Amino acid sequence: MRRRKLIALMLLAGLGIPGCATVHPWDRDLMAKPTMRFVPLPHEMAVDDHIYFSKEGSTGGMDAAGGGCGCN
Amino acid sequence: MRVQLAPSPASSIRQRLGAAACLLLAGSVPAAAQTSVAPGWQLETTGLFYGEQARARVVEPMARLARQFANGRALSLGLAVDAITGASPTGGLPTGTVQTTTSASGQASTTTADAVPTHAFQDLRGAVDVGWVEPLGTLVSASTSAHYSQEKDYASLGGGLKTSVDLLGRLVTLTVGGGFNRDRVFPTGGTAMGLAPDSTPRLPGDNAKEVRTGLVGLSRVVSRRWLLGATGSQTRETGYLTDPYKVVSLVDPVTQLPVAQVNEERPSERTRDDVLGSSVYHFEQDIFYANYRYYWDDWGVRSHTLDMKVRHDLSSESWVQPHVRLYAQSPARFFVFGLTQGQPLPEFASADERLGPLRTATFGATYGFHVPGHRGEFTLRAEYMYQWLVGRPPTAIAPIPGTGGGDNVRRSIAAEDDGANGGGQHLGTNIGTLLIGYTVPF
Repeated sequence: MRRRKLIALMLLAGLGIPGCATVHPWDRDLMAKPTMRFVPLPHEMAVDDHIYFSKEGSTGGMDAAGGGCGCN
Repeated sequence: MRVQLAPSPASSIRQRLGAAACLLLAGSVPAAAQTSVAPGWQLETTGLFYGEQARARVVEPMARLARQFANGRALSLGLAVDAITGASPTGGLPTGTVQTTTSASGQASTTTADAVPTHAFQDLRGAVDVGWVEPLGTLVSASTSAHYSQEKDYASLGGGLKTSVDLLGRLVTLTVGGGFNRDRVFPTGGTAMGLAPDSTPRLPGDNAKEVRTGLVGLSRVVSRRWLLGATGSQTRETGYLTDPYKVVSLVDPVTQLPVAQVNEERPSERTRDDVLGSSVYHFEQDIFYANYRYYWDDWGVRSHTLDMKVRHDLSSESWVQPHVRLYAQSPARFFVFGLTQGQPLPEFASADERLGPLRTATFGATYGFHVPGHRGEFTLRAEYMYQWLVGRPPTAIAPIPGTGGGDNVRRSIAAEDDGANGGGQHLGTNIGTLLIGYTVPF
């Protein structure tokens, strides 16, 4: 239950923080850049997910597919 | 120059293509942060060269073909092959003598005195995945994916579904997704009996493993320069979760030296949770990416991951992106460096360092460039990783070679890190990776 609350709080914070700011369409020039993404190089993320999944005890974060490798 | 983005279905094409490329990517970028691209094809090829000092080597060529359609739909197809050779730690403790280990497949490897025992292995893994993105009106999009991979002792079949909704004038995107894997584990030489001596005959047959994942993500354009995201996910694993090739040393209670070993045994269920916070900030010239993930599971593992990158344009045709990643985890409740011989065995035990008090530090950089007159982009990334365990207990003791043992000549393995008592053994693992990429639209 505590974990679910933590997740809910994070998501609410994500909603609430921007609530005090307005970004007009004509102010979205920088956001239009393909580099303004959480994952600017998807092929690197795919490789890194594979490496760290096989070398560490944690997983998760960005993808929902999971698993797919007998390396861990 | 500032541009106004039309809120048309085509405005999210690029992101949808990216989402298809990386399967179910949570925390997708709000539609307001997307730019239009013409329908067409894109080919992405990548080559990974991975090497651990005196351990595993991996060569992995990958290719991804993506097709963007005018109506916002997108299709992607990915192929990958892993060629893996080298050695992996068995989980056994180092001893003061030379050890020879024979794997279930009959492959023998020799471990020098005081070195971490390893077993030799080689494998070839093939993987294929396909993804599809379908817009559902102007504010909602759905993506689905499926994958299959096969290696010598493991097969995985899975799929996923994700839906994203744009809210608050396309400044916010809410993403909900889920995935399911149905895997099979068929260890080379058979399945080891948990916590039985490693010489015990192995059992034939397959072992099932299922993985279910669900996630919720939210991303938001905070300002003209700042993009913020949060994602929470939960993964439920059931079935055969033990590593069939790992062992646990039995330590003599008097001498504290490893004298025998048993196969490891893990629970058959695991629930993993994590929350991820992501930020992208555009400075005048550079772009700063930061991610922090907190992870916990019901095996007792907790971890913190901090990942940072800065993209700096060197010219209109080239850029560089330094990268730092720091990782720390606490051990699983049943992680042990060794068990005491003669004592009752616990229900579960593993000495796999990936379930131990592990640390990883990664440093590297990506260099990207265009060749004048050519549409494609080349990327070259080199990284160094250092991985180590902390808090080795005093059970990890070995005699100094040639001294004949005794309390006054034993030393802690952990103490060797700083070179005390002659040093010579490095318990951390040095890892280097080289990643070459080429992406071209056509």
